[in-house]
Amino acid sequence: MALEKQEKRPVAEKGEHIIARHLIEDDYIKEEKNLVIDGVDVSGRWNTFIRTRVDSEFDRSFFREVKETVAGSRINRCWQCGMCTASCTVTPLYRRFNPRAFIYMMQLGNLKELKKYVDVAWRCVGCYKCSQRCPKQVNPAEMMEALALLIKKYFPEEMESKLKVDEDVKKIYEDMILGHGRLDLAKLHTSSMQKMGRTKELIGKMERDAIFKMIKDGRAFSILKLGRPHNWGKSKRAIENYLKNANTLERSEA
Amino acid sequence: MAENILVIGGGPAGLNAATMLSELGVKVTLAERDLFLGGNPKKFKYKFLFPDMQPADNVVGELIKKAETSSNIKVYLSSEISDFKENGKKFDAQIKSPDGNEIKTFDSVIVATGFEHFDPARDAKYSYQLFDDVIDIKDLERMMGEGNFARPSNGQPPKNVAFILCVGSRDRHVGNQYCSRVCCTVSVKQAIELREHFPDCEVYIFYMDIRTYGFFEDLYWQAMEEHDVQIVKGRVAEITSGPDNTVICKGEDTLLRGPFEIPFDMVVLASGMEGGPQSSEMAKKLGLELDEHGFLKPQNVTLALFKSNKEGIFLAGACTGPKAISDSIIEGGAAAMNAYIYAVRNH
Repeated sequence: MALEKQEKRPVAEKGEHIIARHLIEDDYIKEEKNLVIDGVDVSGRWNTFIRTRVDSEFDRSFFREVKETVAGSRINRCWQCGMCTASCTVTPLYRRFNPRAFIYMMQLGNLKELKKYVDVAWRCVGCYKCSQRCPKQVNPAEMMEALALLIKKYFPEEMESKLKVDEDVKKIYEDMILGHGRLDLAKLHTSSMQKMGRTKELIGKMERDAIFKMIKDGRAFSILKLGRPHNWGKSKRAIENYLKNANTLERSEA
Repeated sequence: MAENILVIGGGPAGLNAATMLSELGVKVTLAERDLFLGGNPKKFKYKFLFPDMQPADNVVGELIKKAETSSNIKVYLSSEISDFKENGKKFDAQIKSPDGNEIKTFDSVIVATGFEHFDPARDAKYSYQLFDDVIDIKDLERMMGEGNFARPSNGQPPKNVAFILCVGSRDRHVGNQYCSRVCCTVSVKQAIELREHFPDCEVYIFYMDIRTYGFFEDLYWQAMEEHDVQIVKGRVAEITSGPDNTVICKGEDTLLRGPFEIPFDMVVLASGMEGGPQSSEMAKKLGLELDEHGFLKPQNVTLALFKSNKEGIFLAGACTGPKAISDSIIEGGAAAMNAYIYAVRNH
């Protein structure tokens, strides 16, 4: 009977009966469809539960998993001074990208917290300033690489939904490398802007100024002189082979 | 006739002061309140000393042996100074021991009455003595010294252990605002020992700051880098009982701004040092000054840490503030030198 009633109702918003709903994040609300407790059917209005918002364990298996990777082998060294975040080129652009905090979450196996940063955790540009300055030689730059791989493993769905555009850019990048053996930044820029639907900006004032400046100082012409690297065919085959293997590996893992 | 010097307290500082003076040919009277020499390291059976893990028995044992074999040192065990008077530039002291009372005149006096471990039971939030598995660093040291290394509640090896730093230190609530200096280093030392003894046991250290000063820092690095000891920033506010015979540490992870309530098999409180009742007793009997922290007040903290406010009475070791054993031993020597100079001048 309870089931019938529920089906007649319009689609409910998660936790709609909670009065101070704005105080609770979606992840902490748990709703059971047909819940029976001690023989009493409590589905319907009473099926909503709020999970504790207090951390109740440190999961060191995650820490060990990171430590076993080459990139993350020095995770045990980090003492959270914040030198990496202070040196980071990305943090000033995305405040939520915080290498120090990511390393700490990995140390304590706090996946719940880490999940909130799926969209920014991979944004390391690999400038290695953090690794050069880290007082404990943790190598945070490579730690971010380990983090990206683990995020891919643990949160594939979130990754898929949040990183679509970037996958496209990756494709452009790959095609460019395979096609020419060189990275053409101008082309990468225009193609990715097109993919993101920001074509208009390409003829904006900033872009025009940049192009004029490059024509003036001759940099624009040097792009035309770019040829393919010597013996490119051989390297191209090797890269293609590698990518093929990597893709099959990924599929078999999944 | 040789000079007479009274040394009060037979811990590392007092023992070193006494042996050094005896080697100068001074007649030393060493008064110790306990049944044995060696002070707190002996009383609480410290096992290994940081930074190089040498057995405490070797260090203190050597000092005791020197003091006991010297013909110039007269040791009074289970004794107390029952009466103390200034006599010109000298001092008359009555030493009460099981052998009776003895009044002697001394050229100078060295006070090396040491410290007391902070009693964590005084800070109720840590539930010390309420749960068997909540112990403090001196208990753990004694457990290791006795070779009885397990969870106190059931004798099983622990699966996860938490250290809580700054218990009874840097806390206005318990009345101690100072840092006790050695508890951080002792804690990381014990964390290493735990990890070595139980490789499957995870060890966490809850800290506000980790103050392993000077070269003791090496131990801290070692604990993290070689033994995977995890440090978590935040002071624990409450210890309660948890499921499956565990104790729950409730606190805030200040780096992630999140509350936690984590069950542990064993919690070790890094309790600090206090001047103890002996410091105020000495201050009263000998007419010395106490500082605002309850330790004996030196004449000048930079220039003369070993001098008291009274001419002829010198201070050594942890009675003037929290100190490592090595520092206490050095101060014993410094106080001996100054007491000797004073004695020779006025003899």
